[in-house]
Amino acid sequence: MHSFELFLPDNIKDASLRGGPNAVFKAAGTDLLDRLKERIENPETLINLLEFKKDLAGINPQAGGFDIGSLTSIHDIASSASLAGPEWRALKQAAETTATPQIRNRGTLGGNLLQKTRCWYLRSEAFKCLHGGRGPSCLAVDGENRYHSVMGTLDCMRVHPSNLAPALYVLGAELSTQSGEESNRFPIAELYPELPLASEAEHTLSDNEILTHIHIPAAVTGTSTAYVESREKLSFDWATTAAAVLLVMKGKAILSGRICLGAVAPNPIPCDQAAEMLAGQDASMELFGKVAAAAYAKAVPLAQNEYKIELGKAVLRDALAQASGLR
Amino acid sequence: MKNEHEMRVGFAGDNRKIKVDVPEGDLTPWDLDTKLESVGGRSDRIDAFAKVTGRAKYAYDINLPGMLHGIILRSPHPRGSVKSVDLSKTLDMPGVKAAVVMKQGERNRIRYVGDPVAAIAADTLDQARDALSAIVAEYEIEAHNVELLAAEGAPNLNENNISDPWPVPRPAARRRPADPDMELEVSEADVSAEGTWSMEVQTHSSLESHGNVVWYKKETDSAEIWASTQATFGARQALASALDIPQDRVTVRAEFVGGGFGSKFTPGEEGMACALLSKQANAPVKLMLDRFEEHTCTGNRPSAVIQIRAGAKKDGTVVAWDTRSFGGPGCNGRGGSTSHHTNYFDNAKHRRIHVDLATDTDASRAMRAPGRPQGVFAMEGMMDILAAKCGLDPLAFRLLNDNSELRKAEWQLGAEKFGWAEHYNASPGSGEDPRYLRGAGMASAFWGGMGGGKHRVTCRIHRDGSVESRNGAQDIGTGMKTLMAMLTAEELGISPEQIRVSMGNTNDPPGPASGGSTTTPSLSPAVRHAAGLAKQELGAKVAERLQVDANKIIWQNGHIGLQGGEMIPFQEACKLIGAEPIEATGIRQANYDGYQDNVCGCQFAAVRVDRETGLVLVEKMLGVQDCGLVINQKLAESQVIGAMIEGISYVLHEQRIMDPKQGRMLNGDFANYKIAGTLDMPEMEAIMYSVANGKNNVGAAGLGEPPSTAAPAAVANAVSNALGLPMRSMPITPDKVLAALHSKKK
Repeated sequence: MHSFELFLPDNIKDASLRGGPNAVFKAAGTDLLDRLKERIENPETLINLLEFKKDLAGINPQAGGFDIGSLTSIHDIASSASLAGPEWRALKQAAETTATPQIRNRGTLGGNLLQKTRCWYLRSEAFKCLHGGRGPSCLAVDGENRYHSVMGTLDCMRVHPSNLAPALYVLGAELSTQSGEESNRFPIAELYPELPLASEAEHTLSDNEILTHIHIPAAVTGTSTAYVESREKLSFDWATTAAAVLLVMKGKAILSGRICLGAVAPNPIPCDQAAEMLAGQDASMELFGKVAAAAYAKAVPLAQNEYKIELGKAVLRDALAQASGLR
Repeated sequence: MKNEHEMRVGFAGDNRKIKVDVPEGDLTPWDLDTKLESVGGRSDRIDAFAKVTGRAKYAYDINLPGMLHGIILRSPHPRGSVKSVDLSKTLDMPGVKAAVVMKQGERNRIRYVGDPVAAIAADTLDQARDALSAIVAEYEIEAHNVELLAAEGAPNLNENNISDPWPVPRPAARRRPADPDMELEVSEADVSAEGTWSMEVQTHSSLESHGNVVWYKKETDSAEIWASTQATFGARQALASALDIPQDRVTVRAEFVGGGFGSKFTPGEEGMACALLSKQANAPVKLMLDRFEEHTCTGNRPSAVIQIRAGAKKDGTVVAWDTRSFGGPGCNGRGGSTSHHTNYFDNAKHRRIHVDLATDTDASRAMRAPGRPQGVFAMEGMMDILAAKCGLDPLAFRLLNDNSELRKAEWQLGAEKFGWAEHYNASPGSGEDPRYLRGAGMASAFWGGMGGGKHRVTCRIHRDGSVESRNGAQDIGTGMKTLMAMLTAEELGISPEQIRVSMGNTNDPPGPASGGSTTTPSLSPAVRHAAGLAKQELGAKVAERLQVDANKIIWQNGHIGLQGGEMIPFQEACKLIGAEPIEATGIRQANYDGYQDNVCGCQFAAVRVDRETGLVLVEKMLGVQDCGLVINQKLAESQVIGAMIEGISYVLHEQRIMDPKQGRMLNGDFANYKIAGTLDMPEMEAIMYSVANGKNNVGAAGLGEPPSTAAPAAVANAVSNALGLPMRSMPITPDKVLAALHSKKK
């Protein structure tokens, strides 16, 4: 890696004030360290947010929901007794499937939401990747694209790798950030760029904006959630497709639902139209099949990833079946 | 001089007495009637504690005062030549102490992305990496191809079957008797089938990367080297030559080696570079490769496409077997040969034709049973297809055609212990579980590995009772050090914990390169011989003390003395030794004719296939394996289980993915090069099948490679059984499973 200045701030404000175009915030650093060593990230200053971990780690009940600090470890979410109910299950399932025990112990919720894509063209400086600012066009378009996007793309075929983001989407999470003295609160959808161009980062935070808390609102009676992802192996793999769902049930009847897909597009993809098909219906695999088809209706595969569409539908059906109690 | 000796050899189903010629001075060979104490037990590895606590020092762990860090400039282009390399600017960069050009003159061809061009050494690795960008290299770039099926001479692939052009044997192979007319043989069989199997490049993925620490010392014109190697003596020879100094001034150490799997037989270009840099700088230089270099520049198991056409009689007897294959060994254009054993069709008309196709990628290297897992994957796949066509269960079909009595016994034992009847899906492709399809598969193993060579081992017994067993070859993780302790302890009638073993230092007696499953069978007879000679010397001292004839002395329960008379504990007997220890050198004698020259085995796998996501999970796996005399049950089982783990990973996950345009590997890291992990592991069992092979005084056979030949095929056949469709393309990833399930619906 290139040499850099390591800044150890006392508090969020100091950290934020040191932010800028040539600085990088570091949470656990599980991925950042790799990118530094590969020299695809070459900051002048590294700002270590773990200095004030005690202020930003923890799962605190709040008005029937939770405020979760952005530096809470993935393991703490996966093992939290507070999140044991069916209404929070999607979040726990997403946390449990993340990476490895070592990374779950160290890695943070904030880091998971703000991850860089795993696209192999981005992650090697030898490739003239558009998203990496090294070339004129996306190499995955007609390159090796078995793991790339099947929807929601513009000029970059990357997929968003966060498995916790889809779960937080369906839970209706909001995020708090701080920039200097100023704090801000907004729905999770606004964390991701409206138009995920290659020139856009994976998230919309500004250079000096620090994600501090994730707020999960209270759940309506009858809420049940689930998160399912497909992968090629069970130990340490990235999802090939993922789905998080929230259902509000009364007996067998679904009063309303929410769906968010992961690992199939540059952003997590909420599927409101497909979710509307659930409202007022009785849970059945037939219904879930139709909903899954609708969620993927606009998917357009690249040369090597058509399988992801069928797989994505299966995963979504499974998530709906789990949330509704059919499985 | 040789002495005729009668010994009982074989296995439970076939044991008999044979006569062997034991060389003069050798020990009486162990056989089925020998009662052994330490040998055959389940001792832990003697270096287990050092390894798990990090005290074991690998080449990668060596850090010396004033040590420089080396790095290699590698070609970003897959094919062409180097026109010029200018090092002048890089030598002015901070910390840079030495720089060498590795492509010049007539040796300037670029053969793959990663081909070494130059190397530099600097005070820190980051300085070295910074200085790389100051090397000015000019290339002449040529059009490239990294894909096997786009190579010159590649066959067409229609409907997943290869067709013209067919491979023709190389001229050298034409000296064989004329091949049978396989067209005719296959077409005239009662039952026939054909199919094409394909497989991708697998990388060795050793945990410790390739590399060395070379410390050249100008004052003495000598060198000390720490190497990650499978051949300490080969490394000494090659690196002495690179340093241009006599071999007697070079010591190579490899006390611990973090895996090699066939890729570490030579110091390679990284070793040459390290030696030259150290000599230029007159300082120790560490040059260990990074993970991307490891995946792309240190060899691999080559890709292949294999077509088989085979025929059988109505009763299931195989009568014709024709294998035509293409291998993808990369830029050297050879070494990609796939192979299989012929136990099923030795009595049938059979032929095998193979041709390698060159691509502009890293040259393949030996990898744990080179070519064999590939060939067996195809062969065992075809066995199941033919069995089904003959209306026979896969087990019955194999028992009918296998000509190895030993393996037949293993098939039966394995099928019973595994529960073949219970796990095999008699209605392939269907099942009651709405979510998962289940199936089982089996495959055979076969290998040689009886060892040989003129290796030597030193055994020392000291006055204080401590005992050493020493050899200069390396233990690459098979547990050879532990075996040396057990064999020495057995011979001396003491406990293995009392033996201190040294391996991996070329100042000790010469030993083999670890390849072809030969280290254990090659060294073990010399280990025992050394201990036996030392024992005779100590026995003579006891005889002198007791004033009796040396041949009256017996060794029993850790005591030495006279039958029914005075018995002295080993520790006490050692006090008869002076300041100079007893030192004996054991010699590896040539093998006897013996009972047999190969080992057999078989493996069974049960899988679960998710109908919706295409994910294959291996639920259970069992291997039966013989390897002559089993010296340590636990280590032997560990080899078999390790091979099954590696096989599961290979058949389900591993593949090198290349960007064809740039000719560069895309998944050259452990994040994207997928290797099975703990959650992907089934319940596993290894059953060692003991055979007295009568080959030497110990009778051990190599075990590194044999079990790895069967594992991928057993799993693939299980998936095929679950799906009711032959899965003929490795790795069997979810996209391929989903496509297969789709094809069934149509």
